[in-house]
Amino acid sequence: MGEQQELVTITIDGREVSVPPGTLLWEAARQLDIEIPIYCYHPKMDPLGACRMCFVEVKGMPKPMTACTTTVTPNMVVSTDSPMVKKSRRGTLEFLLINHPLDCPICDKGGECDLQDFTLRHGPGGTRFDLYKRHYVKPIAVSDRVLLDRERCIACQRCVRFCQDVAMENGLVMMERGFKTEVGVEEDAPFDSIFSGNVVEMCPVGALTAKSYRFVTRPWELKRTASVCGQCSVGCNVLVDVRVNKVLRQYSRTNDSIDEGFLCDRGRWNTELVNSPQRLRTPLIRRNGALEPATWEEALQLVAQRLRAVASTHGASAIGGIGSTHTTNEEAYLFQKLLRAGLGTNNVDHFHGRFPAMERNGLPWVWTDSIAGLEKASHIVLLGTDTYNRQPIVDLRIRRAIRKGTRVYVVTPEPSRLDRLAAGTIRYNEGQTGAVSRALLSAVLSEPLTRGDFATKRAASVAALRDSLAHTNTEALAAFAGADATALRALAREIAQADGAVLLYDEMATRESTGETLAQDVLQLALLTDNFGRPGAGTGPLMEDNNSLGARDMGLLPDQLPGYRMLADGAALAQAWGMTLPDTAGMDYDAMLAGGVRALYVMGADPARHATPEQLAQLEALDLLVVQELFLTETAKRATVVLPAVAYMEKDGTFTNTERAVQVVRRAMQELPGARADWQILIGVANALGLGWRYGSPLEVLAEIGRLVPLYAGISRRGLGAEGVRWPFSAGESDATGKPTLVGSPHLTWTMVEHGVTGNGDGAEPALPRAHGEQG
Amino acid sequence: MSETPGTTPANNSLPLGPTPRFLTRNFGVPGIDRIEVYRQHGGYESLAKALTQFEPDALVEEVKKSGLRGRGGAGFATGMKWGFLPKDNPKPRYLCVNADESEPGTFKDRVMIMEVCPHLLVEGTIISSFATKVHHAFIYVRGELPLAERQMARAVREAYDAGLLGKNILGSGFDLDITVHRGAGAYICGEESALLESLEGKRGYPRLKPPFPAVVGLYSSPTVINNVETIATVPAVVEHGADVYAAYGTEKSKGTRLYCLSGHVERPGNYELPLGVPLRTLIEDYGGGVRGGRQVKAVVPGGSSTPFLKPSQLDTPLDYESVAAAGSMLGSAGVIVLDDQTCIVGAVLRMTEFYRDESCGKCTPCREGTFWLVQLLERLEAGHGKESDIPLLADICDNIFGRSFCPLGDAATMSIVSSIKLFYNEYLHHVTAHGCLVGPRARGVAVGAGANV
Ligand SMILES: Cc1cc2nc3c(=O)[nH]c(=O)nc-3n(C[C@H](O)[C@H](O)[C@H](O)COP(=O)(O)O)c2cc1C
Ligand code: SF4
Ligand code: SF4
Ligand code: FES
Repeated sequence: MGEQQELVTITIDGREVSVPPGTLLWEAARQLDIEIPIYCYHPKMDPLGACRMCFVEVKGMPKPMTACTTTVTPNMVVSTDSPMVKKSRRGTLEFLLINHPLDCPICDKGGECDLQDFTLRHGPGGTRFDLYKRHYVKPIAVSDRVLLDRERCIACQRCVRFCQDVAMENGLVMMERGFKTEVGVEEDAPFDSIFSGNVVEMCPVGALTAKSYRFVTRPWELKRTASVCGQCSVGCNVLVDVRVNKVLRQYSRTNDSIDEGFLCDRGRWNTELVNSPQRLRTPLIRRNGALEPATWEEALQLVAQRLRAVASTHGASAIGGIGSTHTTNEEAYLFQKLLRAGLGTNNVDHFHGRFPAMERNGLPWVWTDSIAGLEKASHIVLLGTDTYNRQPIVDLRIRRAIRKGTRVYVVTPEPSRLDRLAAGTIRYNEGQTGAVSRALLSAVLSEPLTRGDFATKRAASVAALRDSLAHTNTEALAAFAGADATALRALAREIAQADGAVLLYDEMATRESTGETLAQDVLQLALLTDNFGRPGAGTGPLMEDNNSLGARDMGLLPDQLPGYRMLADGAALAQAWGMTLPDTAGMDYDAMLAGGVRALYVMGADPARHATPEQLAQLEALDLLVVQELFLTETAKRATVVLPAVAYMEKDGTFTNTERAVQVVRRAMQELPGARADWQILIGVANALGLGWRYGSPLEVLAEIGRLVPLYAGISRRGLGAEGVRWPFSAGESDATGKPTLVGSPHLTWTMVEHGVTGNGDGAEPALPRAHGEQG
Repeated sequence: MSETPGTTPANNSLPLGPTPRFLTRNFGVPGIDRIEVYRQHGGYESLAKALTQFEPDALVEEVKKSGLRGRGGAGFATGMKWGFLPKDNPKPRYLCVNADESEPGTFKDRVMIMEVCPHLLVEGTIISSFATKVHHAFIYVRGELPLAERQMARAVREAYDAGLLGKNILGSGFDLDITVHRGAGAYICGEESALLESLEGKRGYPRLKPPFPAVVGLYSSPTVINNVETIATVPAVVEHGADVYAAYGTEKSKGTRLYCLSGHVERPGNYELPLGVPLRTLIEDYGGGVRGGRQVKAVVPGGSSTPFLKPSQLDTPLDYESVAAAGSMLGSAGVIVLDDQTCIVGAVLRMTEFYRDESCGKCTPCREGTFWLVQLLERLEAGHGKESDIPLLADICDNIFGRSFCPLGDAATMSIVSSIKLFYNEYLHHVTAHGCLVGPRARGVAVGAGANV
């Protein structure tokens, strides 16, 4: 926070509270734990003042005031339970109830309905209305996923304002007027937003309900577990709502620095992952060419025996492991430990983007700013990323930034849902994100548009970089990519003049044909235009899956140990593990699939899905293919042994999201009978191999990570609290939400740049890296 | 006429005689809606005077001095409103002329100004824009007034053609564009902030205030909103000077107003009279008294949003303060006279239906309350009501009044609350005799009937 603000002190119901100027009475009362009932107000949207539910009495005012629209003034004296307030609230509730149908017994919202709750606490005991209620056909579908019961609607406009002001998408609108007011959808503007489920949660009554949740439970039958959504790399905080061991929905559990209390429809309603009848319920062993059910004991023994066999005939280097971007940090850690310490190989990797190798003590390729920081950016440039579909809640934050005036450029091959709101769009041919980014970098170097400390102090490196790109130019690269060079140059200029630009690219865009240099080109672009090291400026990848970053951090890499330690620096780890570690780099993902290994251990990944026919043939030719999975995937179908695993709702652990917040995932239900959590399976295999692992729970694994992985040094379950912690965990500086941040920590930022980019941390002027593939 | 209505006795040497015609001077002149005729009759001379003899700020002062108050309903001092515009806001400023005239009983803006003498409003708009340093003004015409809209649009076109609009008006260096916008038919769009929403192409919902339009108005820019009559009065203030204008009316209600007289009178119509003219003078001397020689039962003095006055209050002077002291409001000066054969419950039902249908639906008390009130009144009027319905009506009104988002909700309660006070027995008669006390559908014996006054 900037300057110290004078607080305003007011009295509510005889109790004093001091709050910053501009605070709404509703918020001030909340700080005293005084409930002021609200319908139209929503803390994440502008006050509306429509429902007239939040009345309070302010001394000196003849009429009751709405607490959601009245800001504090010094020495204000407020009453929330005076006779005037009580009568006014009863009046509003009586009005709301005259047209409300009596279908509470079959209403999905019953039990978590604000109309029920506030009537109980603030309402009249009965009604004086003995005339005719308004009637509508009920319910009507306002989208494929959401139903509307207009009779139940209290016209608070939360849903409509969410669509318009927060999601900024087509959707629900108010129609007609007066008592005929209804919510509806315009014919030519369907309500098909990925954010649509939020209106169901926000609707204070049962007017908007979810098709998938209709009539399936009463809210009080739900077991609610605070956890983190595992359906994309954003890591929204959720309550997993389970009834009789079936997940019915995820509900928001507001974390202001990540999700602000919103979820996307995938997170909210995609329960197939865990509820599907197709889940594997027993280990399978290939016998006579077919996968047949087996006991866990048989399966684990078989895995151990066959792994040992391959090791003794072909050596440890004939064994490889492909880990998961979905499983927890603890599981990723145990997986590589099993491969490295247990089986003696560095052949471990996962499906990930291409980032330049890091040097000694390098810091990872991460987004240097944060989700919340997007709101501070003057510019956001999206390179080859479709945030709407891939990281929807980041997309929602970008929309909030747009509302605050941020200029967004969508630089993608395909049109996106953000185009309509963007300051500009640039299209190019599929697979050319790298070329386009290089075209921007080339424009910055050639015009030149460089500015700031970094560029000045490293003039020689900048010149070298310029020379290394001399053989090409923006126009040639743009033509190659099928993009508009003029637009790219204009964008480069805007980036170079921005107060703060955030440049984001999709992790997987680095896998495209021109993607090899994407990550470093974009980092250089940010550095050379001085869009770095400040809030609202920065760069980084948007990761693919819920724990893509965690998988890297935990060492699912053939050439680096957990926390990106070099293989050569593995002594401490080896000592702690009581094992010798292989010191040569292992095979990477592609090499393993290209026939490099005889035995492949796959945890929570489906390489067959993106495999070429040759790779498929290699998979089938393996001596041993072990697969830990929820479903009989294409890879599992080819396995020697399939070990049934569980989904994130069924286990404990931590995930690291795309802005590198480490958050706690909690077990919300019993594991599917017959299946086991990946960490349990790994322990089972380790012990079948005679490794004597004694972890009793993921908590103990996390503690080991905190001890042995410098990057996660000091991490603990308690320290992670309810909302997680963003790495670096111990930096002195913190953001507005009190979390440490890279942006606020110039030292770390520069260290990262100098290690991560230049691999030279000794203070001498570092050379900028050569673009991959350029001759040096 | 034996008396000079609306003048203080001390003030007997009035510059323009007892009943000046600041607005209606040219009423009845054939073709006055065309620019040539209007100019032949002195039209646009005030504009020339304003542009040549005044600095904008001096004009604001002049309007302040004239004591001109808003004619849209609330009677807010016009010059003071103009003075609220922030001096240092870099955004453009706008003037919106509120021509949404929809208040039941009100037909002055439409008939006397827009249909008959549209150039008066154009002239007033240009002068007012000059005074407030506005370069784009909007005239928001009610959707149901196609003729008024056509007349205004033509007058604006003529003014452009004559160099009175556009760039460098009359060589003064002052630029102004006027856009005539026709609404889509909603009473609420006469409420100034809903009008702005509507102009911006949004639903006609009133906005939360503060911020007030003077600071954050049309397209979030500083905006003045004035009624048609208010703006049309400005040329007269410039022509005659503030002092002459302020010589009329009462101490706090200066000048003249267009009184719209309707209901059961012999000669309904618009009358321009000084503020403070007694209600009785208006009804009897100008309106020719109650139709068919009947008695007055009640009068609505300022459009349907104002409480009833009773016959014993006929001597109330029609100025803001006196009508307020009598328990009602001068409002839009839409004076509706009800004769003694009017069923008050029926009349109130009609008025309440209007508010139910015109409620924008944004806030709960107005949206749901008017729906309930109408049903209760229907039941009472039809003779099926219960005695408890009468206090219930009053209590519903109490839950609407002062609890709604905008004044429309309050307005909906006025006729009900005041009629229950004045005519309780008539409501009761509907319960006990199952029908009206008076009028063509009267039923049962009138016991101590009529106004309980
Ligand atoms: C429900 C409602 C309807 C209104 N309708 C009108 C109208 O039709 N014309 C008008 O001039 N003012 C109307 N007003 C008053 C305006 O809000 C505003 O006060 C007025 O235009 C200001 O102009 P004035 O200062 O010149 O009176 C209405 C107010 C309310 C609350
Ligand atoms: S549907 Fe629900 S959220 Fe939307 S206006 Fe009605 S009550 Fe409010
Ligand atoms: S009182 Fe409420 S519902 Fe009625 S018109 Fe005003 S805002 Fe709309
Ligand atoms: S919550 Fe305050 S008016 Fe709706």
